[in-house]
Amino acid sequence: MAGRSVAVIGLGAVGSRAARQLLSSDQVPTLTVRDADADRAETVGRSLGSTTTAELPPYTDAVEADIVVLATPAGTHGALARDLVARNRSVISVSDSIDDVTALADLDSEARERGVSVVIGAGFSPGLSCVLARHASADFSSIDEIHVAMSGTGGPACARQHHRALGDWAIDWRDGGWVRRRGGSGRELCWFPDPIAGKDCYRAARPESLLLAPAFGGVSRVTARMAATRRDRLTARLPMLRPPHPEGGPGAIRVEVRGWRDDQRHVKILGAMDRPAVGAGTVAAVAALSVLDGQVLRPGAAGLAELVDPVPFLAELARRGVKAAVFEGLTG
Amino acid sequence: MVTLFRRALVAIGVAGFIAAVLRLRGSGGTPVRDGGWRELTGPDLR
Repeated sequence: MAGRSVAVIGLGAVGSRAARQLLSSDQVPTLTVRDADADRAETVGRSLGSTTTAELPPYTDAVEADIVVLATPAGTHGALARDLVARNRSVISVSDSIDDVTALADLDSEARERGVSVVIGAGFSPGLSCVLARHASADFSSIDEIHVAMSGTGGPACARQHHRALGDWAIDWRDGGWVRRRGGSGRELCWFPDPIAGKDCYRAARPESLLLAPAFGGVSRVTARMAATRRDRLTARLPMLRPPHPEGGPGAIRVEVRGWRDDQRHVKILGAMDRPAVGAGTVAAVAALSVLDGQVLRPGAAGLAELVDPVPFLAELARRGVKAAVFEGLTG
Repeated sequence: MVTLFRRALVAIGVAGFIAAVLRLRGSGGTPVRDGGWRELTGPDLR
């Protein structure tokens, strides 16, 4: 696969880390980066070194690369990916917006015809959460429930998206159909890997169920929750009262899979703790490298639960410092 | 009658304010947990 080029569009907290992770790989000798903010594109491009070409706005043409990592703010990925797929480019999207995920999933048939990949939700969650769900499912003869929870945000764009998500409608998969639930409802105490530990989590407009329900045929329930405080819930439908932290804080994800093993009920809980921007950037980079190396399981548009073998993917993430964990014990 | 109505409104307002403060700042504590997290290592990733 030598000679295939990679680009990163969007150099915020996630995109700049994805770029750095890509450049640390032998498979990516050079990288093209873009950002709507010319100063940021120039500064990040310079900090990444001489092997990086920073293209400055305004952009009149699509980026010239075989694989493009989209790390732009939520809501922009559908149109960008449509244009790239039409030019036979593979796309890695880190968006966790329901609209983006829906628009990207609609590209599946075109991407299959063209033999390119559209990796949807290649971030911390969705992304690593999808890989963990696939990895956990290997322990079961059949699974019927997947419940994802996440805590923390990446950069400011991610924080704004989470704020909107808590005030919007959640989509759960239940008994073969989609169920809309009010964001901020359904409080559940979820235990995350230390030091995040126990957090109250609520329904929110998260796209995990849109990616996991098609990936696990026969599953009857898929839900996604987000950690929030009472103040977050109270202010979710208002503009953000305080500017988000530029780097976010520590975060975590937790994936609970329930099903059957040896004719008995079985539950497996996997998780990970990291700064969400670091985790998302690393997952996006490893997903791009999987496409670059031809390790994706099929062309087309889907989440990581459908597109990658979880074991080598998790091993590569661990090698890069993003480590998964398993919960052993009981909560109560 | 007006005074009674006004007092009732004040009482409801004060109670609502106190409830909001408790709701936003209060904590019910965290339940106990048995078990813990173990990092996925070599055998888990084969």
